[in-house]
Amino acid sequence: MRTLFHALLVIVALVHAPAFAQSDADPKKLVTEAAPVALPPDIVWETNDSAPLIGSEKAIRGGRFTVAIGAYPLTFRLVGPNSNDFFSAWNRTFALMDKHGGLVAQHPTTDEFIPMLATHWSIQKDQRTIFLKLDRDAKFNDGKPVTANDYVFTWRLMQSKFILDPFYNSYAEQYLTSVDRVDDYTLRIVGTRASWRPLYDYAGLWPTAMHASPAVDKDWVNNTTNVPQVVPGPYVVSDMRRGESITFKRVPNWWGDKKRYFKGLYNFDEIHLRVMPVEREIDYLRRGEIDVTTVGSKMWYEGLDVPEVRNGWVHKARMWVDTPKGLLGMQMNLQAPIFQNRDFRIAMHYLFNYDRVNRNLFYGETYRKNSFFDGTIYADPEVKARPFDPAKAREYLAKAGYHRPADIGGSGFFAALKRTVQGLIFTRSDADDILVNDKGEPATFTMIHYSKNLEAALTVIQQDFRRAGVDLRIQLLEPGAAFQRMLERKFEMSFLAMGASYYPDPRQYLHTYFKTEKNNNNFWGYGTKEVDDDIQIYEENLDADARMKAMHGIDRAVHDEAFYIPFWDIKFMRIVYWDYLQFPETYLPKRSEDVTDWLVQWIDPAKKAAVEEAKRAGKAYPVDPELDKDFYGIRQKTQ
Amino acid sequence: MGWFKLDPITRRRFARFRRIKRGYYSLIILLVAIVLSIFAPYLAESRALLVVYKGETHFPTFTYFNMAFFNQTPPPGWLAEDLETDYLRLQREWRFEHEQYAREITQPGIDPAAVVANYPNRDNKVVMPLIPWDPFQSDFWYTEVLNDVQARLNAGDRTGASLLARRDNLDEIADLIDTGEIDKLLADPERAPGGTLRNLAMAGTLKSIAHLAKPAPNAPDSEREHFLGTDTQGRDVASRLLYGFRISIFFSLILVFIGQVVGTFIGALQGYFGGRFDIVSQRLIEIIVSIPFLYVVIILAALMVPSLWMLLGIMALFQWITITFYMRTEMYREKTREYCLAAKSYGASHTRIIFRHLLPNCLTPLVTFTPFLIVGAIFSLTALDYLGYGLPPPTPSWGEMIDQALDANNRDKLWLTLAPFTAITLTLLVVTFIGESVREAFDPKQYARYE
Repeated sequence: MRTLFHALLVIVALVHAPAFAQSDADPKKLVTEAAPVALPPDIVWETNDSAPLIGSEKAIRGGRFTVAIGAYPLTFRLVGPNSNDFFSAWNRTFALMDKHGGLVAQHPTTDEFIPMLATHWSIQKDQRTIFLKLDRDAKFNDGKPVTANDYVFTWRLMQSKFILDPFYNSYAEQYLTSVDRVDDYTLRIVGTRASWRPLYDYAGLWPTAMHASPAVDKDWVNNTTNVPQVVPGPYVVSDMRRGESITFKRVPNWWGDKKRYFKGLYNFDEIHLRVMPVEREIDYLRRGEIDVTTVGSKMWYEGLDVPEVRNGWVHKARMWVDTPKGLLGMQMNLQAPIFQNRDFRIAMHYLFNYDRVNRNLFYGETYRKNSFFDGTIYADPEVKARPFDPAKAREYLAKAGYHRPADIGGSGFFAALKRTVQGLIFTRSDADDILVNDKGEPATFTMIHYSKNLEAALTVIQQDFRRAGVDLRIQLLEPGAAFQRMLERKFEMSFLAMGASYYPDPRQYLHTYFKTEKNNNNFWGYGTKEVDDDIQIYEENLDADARMKAMHGIDRAVHDEAFYIPFWDIKFMRIVYWDYLQFPETYLPKRSEDVTDWLVQWIDPAKKAAVEEAKRAGKAYPVDPELDKDFYGIRQKTQ
Repeated sequence: MGWFKLDPITRRRFARFRRIKRGYYSLIILLVAIVLSIFAPYLAESRALLVVYKGETHFPTFTYFNMAFFNQTPPPGWLAEDLETDYLRLQREWRFEHEQYAREITQPGIDPAAVVANYPNRDNKVVMPLIPWDPFQSDFWYTEVLNDVQARLNAGDRTGASLLARRDNLDEIADLIDTGEIDKLLADPERAPGGTLRNLAMAGTLKSIAHLAKPAPNAPDSEREHFLGTDTQGRDVASRLLYGFRISIFFSLILVFIGQVVGTFIGALQGYFGGRFDIVSQRLIEIIVSIPFLYVVIILAALMVPSLWMLLGIMALFQWITITFYMRTEMYREKTREYCLAAKSYGASHTRIIFRHLLPNCLTPLVTFTPFLIVGAIFSLTALDYLGYGLPPPTPSWGEMIDQALDANNRDKLWLTLAPFTAITLTLLVVTFIGESVREAFDPKQYARYE
């Protein structure tokens, strides 16, 4: 999802990749030779056919849908090197992977589990063993049925060192004890430990077509890089132009068309992904070469007074969604000398002038994140971010021992002469009105960040720090280098945005285990006994209230320790689209991360012809005055 | 410079340079610009040149005065002791007070003593520099002023709101508030959706405030004294341009000076001693040449915060190489001449031969290359800043300005593009003219005139 800043990079980090024992045996053999396990006699199957549809029943099948993509896909592989690039969202949608339901899926609006490739599931009393019944209609797009062996093969593949993917290596080790075949259409998954959300934790597998997979050896990565995958999804590659575009065609009579939760999704006959720079997308859209795009705030407010929009052929809309959000803001390294003092850290919070940035740079349309878990269901509503308050900041700075240097505004001829010479040689920012502490150390520190687009906001923030006598320096780094510095905790302050999942994972961020170790997501070097206990409760306690209480405790503790200054959040996408592109009455599923995330749109052929005609005749449509498409009432909740 | 005397040929060359008008005037223009840029704090600065307060005169350009000193009201949340005086606002406030006073004192039937007591600041004066903005401060007046007026309206302080609007030359708004018509306007959802002044401006209902409520960059506006507009963070473009020039030109002058001195020295040694020393040092130079300069800077920028001196150091590591090649060949040629042999036979030391006899005759490449190397240095710094690996923000820099201008969101903001591009083009043009004239003046083939 492209949020406020186009190029804002959301780095999804992985927990330290473990080196684990790995057999070199052929995974295919391991799968076919394994003896099937037995089904427990008293098994109770569950399913869900009462959740609302994701798409719309009014959707019309057909048409060719063209969208922009930032770069030509480096690979079609679902795992391994480069499998997490611009194309990965599309690739995973087409493969019915992850949230799109390799087995079951979390409904993108109601969050309940719904059957996708698995029709039924059964969670055993130990809270770690799951049985799943596969859909007997499900077929790969080469016509072969999807069987339990294809899932077992995925698990074996995840463990292989030949896929060169430490994330899945680590996932397979940390989460899955075994994946076994009961029969061709029944699967057993055993997780590593009891969990109160076993489907979420352990049923994240997807089928890999074992019959079409090359041998898993040191050539596996090369052999699969440019080969379109055999997947059970609705689209197959029909045309590739390297560096320019890639086209997908719908599978005729796709097996999923008969299934409840695929209704109204994947409506286009053809999907055409065109490679273009992000900032040119709006130009291509105006020329009718792409059908939909998202834009930044500046373009939205000042750049869309164009004939296509004025004539109503192209609509602009803010579609409100409530996607889980991770960290976004300034992080302080608790192990850096200057941030050891809690009062000093709190002063930094009070000097952070969010409103000034929001009003004057963000068009006043973002809202302040309040706490560590803000954006997830576990945020403590009582924890509020500290507002901009220079008087309070002054108080805390004084408590931390910082004061104005003695000679500020000093008089006398020689002092004046010295300042004049200094001013003529250097610029004034080198003047000496920075606060110092009793040891004579100045209140100076460096913030690292990795996005040029952020620089405007950061320099405006810098000005208020400077006015209060705190010298905040800004250093732009190449994203990889910035993240490396954070992992190694070689920074003082950093700007960081992290992706999030539905259930936050505080252990990797806040557990004492990572406090002294480096190369993990505990960027601050934080950890206390109390928070460790709360993490334990959150992960293991079966009582939802106790978990919520523990998470609120963590949220409060992070606020009190004041090492994270939360920044902004937005809960909508600014979408510009042609009139013929239709959305369901819910617009987008509530948890959408991008406008094409669930492909709920369709093209109305009659409207398309009408727009073409209107364009030719220069006929204007009435403009839709309602800019905010907020089916879920999210806007009110944020205000 | 008795030791390093110019020979008659060189003197003739300088005379010839003076005759090439384009180059000569370019040199004068450049020198004037450099001298002016040294005094930039007197040309573009948010600190006043001079403040007359209660009969006393203060010169704040290089001195810090907090708001309490001039009895200025700080923005909400701040203490007057903690903030530096906002001189531009002070000027507006005092000037406005003076106007109010002048109007009231002439009205018939008024007690002069009461009026005088009402306006204690009427005789105070602030003289601002030509560009009353420093290159660091964001001016969010455009987005904030209507909010400020609105806040007073909401608090029921109509006089305050009207006075504030009038002080900032928003007379139309002030009139509307005085007559009470503002309420009607704000109540009209067609003309002011949402019922705020900000939306009134956004909707374009009133011509005189249509430019307000638009976030930066704001177009050139002589009333607000942004003569070249503001950049994406509301900072004054003209001021940043001036300070950017100051940094670029001094940066490149220092850099080229270091490079030329070191390069000349090493090149001279190579050429003079030749042999094994020459072969080995040439190979070392080839190794340095093959290091990609930009990557080195980016890698170093990741390791430490780039500062002016650090960048200068890194770039100087690569800067000296060009000139060594030319000095080396010049030396090879000159050392075989008779005057050199004569000096040797007199028993002159190596140092004396190199610096006293040979170098003055090898000046041609040094002098002709220097202007072009300056152009190159300005360009490198601009390129690094453009990429974001140059001087750290908020340092005013042309590269950063170009980066803003090329942002797709700013493609209709002409002033953002024109200012840095014109400045760079002019500077490089002037330096190139100087360079061409110097080359022409130092050209041994005199009949190939370049005028």
